[in-house]
Amino acid sequence: MSDTVVVGMSGGVDSSVTAKILKDQGYNVECVFMKNWEGDDENCNAEEDYKDALSVCDHLDIPLRSVNFSNEYWEKVFQYFIDEYARGRTPNPDVLCNREVKFKAFLDYAFDLGAVKIATGHYAQIVEYKDEFQLLKGLDKNKDQSYFLYLLGQNELSKSMFPIGNIDKTKVRKLAENSGLINHAKKDSTGVCFIGEQKFFKEFLKRYIPVKPGLMQTIDGKVCGEHDGLMYYTMGQRKGLGIGGGHGFKEAPWFVADKDLINNILIVAQGHDHPSLFHQELEADQIHWINEAPLNSLENISAKIRYRQNDQPCNITELSMNNCKVKFKEPQFAITPGQSIVFYIDNRCVGGAIIDKRF
Amino acid sequence: MSYFDHSATTPIHPLVLEIMNSISEAHFGNPSSIHTSGRKSRSIIESSRRIIAKSIQASPNEVIFTGSGTEANNSVLWSLIYENNKHVITSSIEHPAILKVLDSIAPFGVTYTKLPVNKFGEVNPKNLEEAIKEDTGLISIMMVNNEVGTINPINDLIKIAEEKNIPFHSDAVQALGKTPLSVKDVGADYLSFSGHKFYGPKGVGFLYKKNEAKLNPLIIGGGQESQFRAGTENVSGIVGLAEAVRLSIQNLDKRILHLEKLESEFKAKLSHHSSNVIFNGHPKKHVPGVISASFLGKRSDILLAELDREGIEVSSGSACGSGLVKPSFVLEEMGISESQNTSTIRISFGRSNTIEDVSTLVNALVKFTNV
Repeated sequence: MSDTVVVGMSGGVDSSVTAKILKDQGYNVECVFMKNWEGDDENCNAEEDYKDALSVCDHLDIPLRSVNFSNEYWEKVFQYFIDEYARGRTPNPDVLCNREVKFKAFLDYAFDLGAVKIATGHYAQIVEYKDEFQLLKGLDKNKDQSYFLYLLGQNELSKSMFPIGNIDKTKVRKLAENSGLINHAKKDSTGVCFIGEQKFFKEFLKRYIPVKPGLMQTIDGKVCGEHDGLMYYTMGQRKGLGIGGGHGFKEAPWFVADKDLINNILIVAQGHDHPSLFHQELEADQIHWINEAPLNSLENISAKIRYRQNDQPCNITELSMNNCKVKFKEPQFAITPGQSIVFYIDNRCVGGAIIDKRF
Repeated sequence: MSYFDHSATTPIHPLVLEIMNSISEAHFGNPSSIHTSGRKSRSIIESSRRIIAKSIQASPNEVIFTGSGTEANNSVLWSLIYENNKHVITSSIEHPAILKVLDSIAPFGVTYTKLPVNKFGEVNPKNLEEAIKEDTGLISIMMVNNEVGTINPINDLIKIAEEKNIPFHSDAVQALGKTPLSVKDVGADYLSFSGHKFYGPKGVGFLYKKNEAKLNPLIIGGGQESQFRAGTENVSGIVGLAEAVRLSIQNLDKRILHLEKLESEFKAKLSHHSSNVIFNGHPKKHVPGVISASFLGKRSDILLAELDREGIEVSSGSACGSGLVKPSFVLEEMGISESQNTSTIRISFGRSNTIEDVSTLVNALVKFTNV
């Protein structure tokens, strides 16, 4: 019998096409639907997604199994997510979900099921080069998801496949449509998976973290309003500040420039180009390299400080086992503590770290 | 394919299918219409009602057709919101079609006490006696548990209810066709049944309601089913249901004997070849052919997948819901450890299974579970 590949099936078009491609390539494909969140949240579409997954698998004649990783998700991802918000930071749970759930709990489960590899519908590529596995960006530059995968290591990469990593999203949808997959036009999921749309975000956080409203000040210390709790704001945020005219000289919009966690003050600045919104250096910790640390390239590496940002040339100026200092060639807008900085050399994702401070 | 999941559902009996098809083809009239076609459909329904009533020793007007066993349960429980005595006593291992309903009707003032079960999954009548309150308006305890097959001491429980004059309901969905069932002997006020558990069609069930027992309708509309359950009747489903009940009762001894044979063969063979199997549920007081087996050290979800690949279908926990794996609360309530719980599968034999099937199943189980 041919090799068994277990596909992490979300019910979305990417994982569905992943399964279809592998099946066409002759693998013995099985799919697993992961439930990572408990509760009847109206925002959580798990049940609808499961139905889509089931229909797709039935259409492709692939068995679908289900597994519940909500404990793992709660302990390893969600607790961290809440702790970070409580500290006024803006974490990225998807990065952690990949390391702890999809490429750990799910991977182990798939191997228990008899898989020789797992596959997911990520837009990224794995290549074997000189006895090492490298993580490359997805071919579709608009969809590249390597940013979310920088915490993977050799073990995970050696056991994983990203069959749509070298295909354009439009082509993926076309493939889905031509194969008669019911979800070929299904909307891409956005936002944090367990919260759903952005508009639910405030309501959601309130359930887990006590709300501490406070004052909003300009960079020069002038009180210009009140905030609902620092955790609700992220660096560079423009919407929802509720500052009308009268405080500034012009009608330019206001942005979150900083958080004074000690005094519970939200600091805002007017105009997208306000210098207080830009920083050229940052310190990051929890550093992880996919291969060995690229010591020869520390001076001409580039980085993303958020998903969907163009790579920014930078130098890694100091590097220890866990920390690094990064200096960008150009000042960066709204560097956000808690977010991941992910490092690239050309097309290759080499690792990343969690942003701690900026200067 | 080897199917050993008859407690989840059963394949339709060929005779049931035949009669349903012929009724569907020949009679489409609305049973509420007064013309010839309507009267014919009405007559078919009433004769089905009589067949069922006779099979369980009830009067025809004590049989109310519903869309499922779940609906029958819901009717009885929701009916309470109109009553003065709103306290319910139930057991901790009821189907969600009881337990979740009770949570749902809490805003209407319904409260409930869940009786514990022993390690076999039985309710102790003494616990029932102690749980009765002044405002207890209903006792609802399942006849046979769906995961382990244990039969509750229903007569002793009903005796207590009768003494205190409290209406008694039992979810008997897992009982019909596997154990003798006469409403005269049982003495309950309400019993819930579901057609697809005994080779009948899905989407149709019935509620036995003793004549003098009270019921406020859950579904209101055109007044069908003597005002107890509105909605145009599922004529062919009802005919199929009646035929399935008739066949179950008519062949009961034969079916029980067959299931007992498969079960004892299975248990003997498996115990002989497997060192790590434990059987759950009551060793004697259980319906034949339903086996809850734990394979220590083997996760049930993996085992289920391995069996599925070989075309062998069993289940773990309860098969209802979205198909997500969780430790079974029934086994938890029986005091079974989590590690044993998550290595437990349910095998439920049916009328088409053979001794050869048992061998196939045992061989596969031994192959996948012996460590």
